[in-house]
Amino acid sequence: MGSDGDGDAPLLDDKAKRMRDLLSSFYAPNPSMLSHSPTASSKHSTPDDINSSSFDPNHYMNILVNNSNLEGLLKRHVDMAAEIKNLDTDLQMLVYENYNKFISATDTIKRMKSNILGMEGNMEYLLEKIMSVQSRSDSVNTSLFEKREHIEKLHRTCNLLRKVQFIYDLPDRLGKCIKSEAYADAVRFYTGAMPIFKAYGDSSFHDCKRASDEAIAIIVKNLQEKLFSDSEPIQVRAEAALLLKQLDFPVDNLKTKLLERLEHSLRDIQLKPEEIKNASPSAREVAILEFVEAIHAFRVIFPDSETQLVKIAKGLITRDFVITEEYVTTRICAADLLGVLRVIWNESLLMDEVLQDSALSDHFLEGAKAAVKLYVESAFSQLLLDISDCLLKILKRDETEEYSLETALDASTKLALQGGRNLLLDVCKILDDDSGIIDKLREPIIDWVQEGLQDFFRQLEDQFQSFSGKNNSSATQIHGLTEAAAFAGLVLVLAQLSAFIEQTAIPKINEELAVSFSAGPYEYGPAFVPGEISRKFRSAGDKFLQQYINIRTQRISLLQKKRFATPKWVKHKEPREVHMFVDLFLQELKVIVNEVKQVLPQDMRKHRRSNASSASSKSNSFREEKLLHRSNTQRARSQLLETHLAKLFKQKVEIFTKVEHTQESVVMTIVKLSLKSLQEFVRLQTFNRSGFQQIQLDMQFLRTPLREIVEDEAAMDFLLDEVIVAATERCLDPIPLESPILDKLIQAKLAKSLEENTSSS
Amino acid sequence: MQGASSGIGYGLKYQARCISDVKADTDHTTFLAGTLSLKEENEVHLIRLSSSGTELFCEGLFSHPNEIWDLVSCPFDQRIFSTVYSNGETYGAAIWQIPELYGELNSPQLEKITSLDGHAGKIKCILWWPSGRHDKLISIDEENLYLWSLDASKKTAQIQSQDSAGMPHKISGGAWDPHDVNSVAATFESSLQLWDVRAMGKTISIECSHVRSVDYHPKRKHVLVTAEHESGIHIWDLRKPKVPIQELPGHTHWTWIVKCNPEYDGVILSAGTDSTVNLWLVSLGNDDVSTESQTESPTHWVDPLINTYSDYEDSIYGLTWSSREPWIFASLSYDGRVVVESVKPFISKK
Repeated sequence: MGSDGDGDAPLLDDKAKRMRDLLSSFYAPNPSMLSHSPTASSKHSTPDDINSSSFDPNHYMNILVNNSNLEGLLKRHVDMAAEIKNLDTDLQMLVYENYNKFISATDTIKRMKSNILGMEGNMEYLLEKIMSVQSRSDSVNTSLFEKREHIEKLHRTCNLLRKVQFIYDLPDRLGKCIKSEAYADAVRFYTGAMPIFKAYGDSSFHDCKRASDEAIAIIVKNLQEKLFSDSEPIQVRAEAALLLKQLDFPVDNLKTKLLERLEHSLRDIQLKPEEIKNASPSAREVAILEFVEAIHAFRVIFPDSETQLVKIAKGLITRDFVITEEYVTTRICAADLLGVLRVIWNESLLMDEVLQDSALSDHFLEGAKAAVKLYVESAFSQLLLDISDCLLKILKRDETEEYSLETALDASTKLALQGGRNLLLDVCKILDDDSGIIDKLREPIIDWVQEGLQDFFRQLEDQFQSFSGKNNSSATQIHGLTEAAAFAGLVLVLAQLSAFIEQTAIPKINEELAVSFSAGPYEYGPAFVPGEISRKFRSAGDKFLQQYINIRTQRISLLQKKRFATPKWVKHKEPREVHMFVDLFLQELKVIVNEVKQVLPQDMRKHRRSNASSASSKSNSFREEKLLHRSNTQRARSQLLETHLAKLFKQKVEIFTKVEHTQESVVMTIVKLSLKSLQEFVRLQTFNRSGFQQIQLDMQFLRTPLREIVEDEAAMDFLLDEVIVAATERCLDPIPLESPILDKLIQAKLAKSLEENTSSS
Repeated sequence: MQGASSGIGYGLKYQARCISDVKADTDHTTFLAGTLSLKEENEVHLIRLSSSGTELFCEGLFSHPNEIWDLVSCPFDQRIFSTVYSNGETYGAAIWQIPELYGELNSPQLEKITSLDGHAGKIKCILWWPSGRHDKLISIDEENLYLWSLDASKKTAQIQSQDSAGMPHKISGGAWDPHDVNSVAATFESSLQLWDVRAMGKTISIECSHVRSVDYHPKRKHVLVTAEHESGIHIWDLRKPKVPIQELPGHTHWTWIVKCNPEYDGVILSAGTDSTVNLWLVSLGNDDVSTESQTESPTHWVDPLINTYSDYEDSIYGLTWSSREPWIFASLSYDGRVVVESVKPFISKK
């Protein structure tokens, strides 16, 4: 603040400052204080300040003369003369104004003096008059007082009597009202008499009160009856409710009772989705109409009951949806679902009409959303279940019941593709529905389907994996033989099914999807990604195929192991016939071929076979020649060299190629692996001549039946030769059987097996 | 996966199954290989990798009386090794010594230190005490385990204790735990059985089928690797013998032999009858026994198969790492070809 004041000070113009200084100097108790006041600061108190009290004209003059030049002095002179003149004029004006005011004041005083005379007399006269008026009025008042008292008393009595009369009449009147059903009047009378009854009901008007109470009780009863009877017009019922309320009757109880009745009546309106299919207007529809009517009435009767009614209505819809959801899980088609939804929709529309602010349609939407979602989900899970069931039948099949792999595969592929497409079509039906029920659900439905498909295939793949994982490598030990075989079949079917899903089902379904379910923004879940799923199934299919091959080769390997572990090969007896093991091996292969033929497709590239066979015959003859030559010469050293050389010249037979999803490829792979195992088993043994010859005979015999089975004869021949070579190498005395004997033995075996075949068939 | 152009080859005269790293030779990378020929005179080759690492040459060639089914070099004396042999009908096992001046002799004869007699059935393998100089040996045949005490100077070996498998299945091989010298693992057709050597009693048994080969992890206690005919390679933690801690697909046909690298953690080599050698890298990092505090990298999602060496003509039965240069391994295919390869390019990447 101080700084503000300092800032202001120089802004004040000279005149105002001077006036203030003058005033303060006038009012100040002593002039000496002035020198200390802030306005008279040191610079003002100097004798050269013209406005200060200590102004010294001489000193001022001296300074002026000393400091200024002539021109400045002259200017100062002129200024000062003008200032003095100004001050003179101001002074004159002040004097003149003051004089004027004084004159007018004098005039006013003079006028007041003349007017005030004569007023006193008038006032006294007035007082006198007022006094006389007052005395007169007092006398009138006293003379009339008594009569007035009397009249008032009479009047009160009369009123009282009338009331008493009314009360005594009340029961009769009420009775009359009851008779004429003028309940409104009766209630009015009764409520009018109520205060009196309350005050005197226990004493003077006891009887009267009792009688009227009885009447009122009747009225209440009648009113209740009216209220509860559905036949009465709504207006009457509403009136009755109002009257009952006026009679302090616990209307809320009635309301709850009525509500209960309403709810109870609802309980009968069970949604029976099965009946909806029969398009006839069912009893339910009628019931719903009645219910709506009842709601309407109720709302009129109890205007404040809206929230409860809405609750009931919502409860109805919720219950409907609960039933619907149950229904949905029991394999229904879209039309059924739509039918049910439509019924509920109509219902909610009807109720919506009656209950304005119920937001029932929102409620319906929510319910419908849940139901449709559940429908989509359950449809997918149903499909999943179907496929699983279909596959698991393979495991459960009995000896008697012929459930072939082919049927299983057929059924499951059909399910996977047709089921998937049907599902989509079904959902499409929902989408195409134009009744406006699912308008808002369209996008979510699309998303659900996308998500559902994705999940479905994922789960399907998981399911497959879990099937195949059920028995792992130790299958043959844990389970019975038939079961293990069934399991192998299952794995094979899984492999083909996976391939089918990857190659056929997914693209087709994706097409379908693109047509009807072009994806919107994915708000509700992940979309269907066919690429990912395809990849998954491809790898799964390969895995299953490999697993199948593993299971099968393991079984064969077990056979072979037994075969080679049992006899003492070094002390083997001369071969008399083809060993039984060959039969078992072929039998096993037959089973495999049978399974594979049922499940896997044929290789389309047939021409490969002819090429291979021509090549094989060449290499075959070469090898046989060589074999003969080798057996004659006994020098193992050159033998080995020869083998190496032969390998160099012969195109390296690719034993371990990638397996394809074809009959030929799978059978070939299994044969190749088995023969390779055979070779390895042979290499672990040491043979005498007879043991070697036995092997030679067995292998030679295998050639013909295997040729019927396998596609790549060259590889098969090569591997069979390899087994014989391995046996030669591991033989102490490798002299092969003479070819006539060999032929004879083989022919004998062939004849025998032919015989067995004919006798068995 | 290209064939191994980097491989250095060496040809044995005959077919062969077994090759062994000469662990005791610390100056050279040396291998011993024995041939398997029923009718010819079998040989043991002492093969040395030249210091430049580009050539294999024959350091010594010794005739061996019978075909060799198993050959293991003594871990503490480079001149001693054991063989299991057969004449076609009967099996035998012996400890041999390479004669001292073999380079100057024309056809040097092996000195037989002693033969391990007493086996009745097919002898499968001989296991040397896994670490350091020790006189204990174990020989395994199809039904029995024998613990021998060897005295090389007196040229005698005595059976210390013996136990029979007592199982319907036959023993196919075994390994001596380098972390716990009291424990020996033997492979059966349907299981893996551990023995306590002190009491000669069975301890843990692991269920797995068709085990063909077993090898202990040289760095981690309790971890061992098995190779199975049909179901590939399994890695086990002996404390949790119910399920393998890891599975590898193995080979297209039988997986015959599996070997853990002596230095590099998780580097595993396997060979099979599909004429390939596979190099695997598995991450066992989350094992609390791990001595080095290696940080677990998300490598176990990558394909554990790092390389396949397929430049072989026949099944491979012999496989060994070099303990002197642990990035080098030698493989022996049935046709008698020794191939030495370096896995350096694959390991240095990691």
